[in-house]
Amino acid sequence: MRTSTPSFSNLIKNPLTTTVTLLATSLLLLFLPLKFSNRIKMTCVAPIRPLQWATCFCSNSASNFFDKIISSWQTTQGKKDLEHQVLQFKNKLIEQQDTIYKLENRLRTLLKFQAENNIIKKSPIPADIIGYDASSFRKNVIINVGAKHGIKPDNIVISDNALVGKVISVSGSNSVVQLITDPASRIPGRVVQTREQVILEGDGTVFCKLKYVPRWAKLNKGDDIVTSDIGGFYPVSLPVATVVENKTKSGALFQSVKVLPRVNISKMESVLVIQN
Amino acid sequence: MRWFTFFCILFCISLFQSTVMHWLIFRSAVPDLYFPLVVFYSFLADAKRNTIANWFTGLSKDLFSEGSFGINSVFFVAVGFLIWSFREILFRGHVVTQVLITFIFSIIYNALYAIHVSISFHSLRLSTTVWVILTCSLYTAMIVPVLFWIFNKIQPTQKLFFNQG
Repeated sequence: MRTSTPSFSNLIKNPLTTTVTLLATSLLLLFLPLKFSNRIKMTCVAPIRPLQWATCFCSNSASNFFDKIISSWQTTQGKKDLEHQVLQFKNKLIEQQDTIYKLENRLRTLLKFQAENNIIKKSPIPADIIGYDASSFRKNVIINVGAKHGIKPDNIVISDNALVGKVISVSGSNSVVQLITDPASRIPGRVVQTREQVILEGDGTVFCKLKYVPRWAKLNKGDDIVTSDIGGFYPVSLPVATVVENKTKSGALFQSVKVLPRVNISKMESVLVIQN
Repeated sequence: MRWFTFFCILFCISLFQSTVMHWLIFRSAVPDLYFPLVVFYSFLADAKRNTIANWFTGLSKDLFSEGSFGINSVFFVAVGFLIWSFREILFRGHVVTQVLITFIFSIIYNALYAIHVSISFHSLRLSTTVWVILTCSLYTAMIVPVLFWIFNKIQPTQKLFFNQG
């Protein structure tokens, strides 16, 4: 008696088998270790990166061109440059304020602050943003420097003297940067004015929020947040964000604080990667 | 349905979504070019082709976004199957149906994704998340007429859309 065994091609013709096979593959991919899945992603997307760079370059150029036309109409080009400079100086000022505070403290306790503060300026690598995350809830960017340029995971990324994120995965000539607004981002910070320790957390929008701010902490709109030395991961005293709103709900243990990153992340075109 | 055309569309969408779309940002909301493709192929293709097309669309989105690898393919297959299962009662050729279906199912997909992100990182605020879901879905639905027009031109579907009897 002859029995026919179903071949794979026959099985795949069945819609149910197709669905089950594809879903099983997806689930298998979901349970892959993060390191391994990141490597797959970086390898698969690597050939498309040059095209991504070209598209981004063209769109940036077009955007800049239209910006310039509008600016020349409104004669605000000078104002824009000045605003940019002011932003940079403001960030520098916050950094300096914090440095002065720390220096005073350290002089009193006879610690060498200078050596610690010099770490943050170590060999920055300039990079251009060539792509963005395809998901609306994640905030990551792709930059055009990678392992070939000496970039490693967990390198710090700054722009206009302020922290914007950290490198999370690296391929030969590209890297993925997790921005401070990404929901997975957590940064130990300190409020410059009140010296409160906080944790800055991304929430997938243009804003971030501060976690574990005690009810009694006197935060005001405009207070600056800088990176703290807790954890030793981020360089100290880098400006990160500014307080824009704080609420204290009755019965809540902590304040609800909304902060705005110091850098306009949506308009950022280039960054500096610090090899720490 | 031509697979070569589908992969060409998918490639272009991936490229635009990860670069140019960022310039259309409106209060953290960016239109999702992948989702109209899911709706389009759920309207157009049979069950098997629809599943495969949606799986590849999800996988492509997974490749170009950070996070769990494979999650979008699961969501897109599920949402695509849901749309496919009751497409016969819809007048698929009308632009209002296309926009409405995209809007409603985009809300469902974004809500599912937001729940996934929320469980993973515990850092999404309800009010802002609801706002992002609504604006993203609305933004995506708004570009549907243009995208469907382009998809129709590249992948003709006139017979499927108008011979529903």
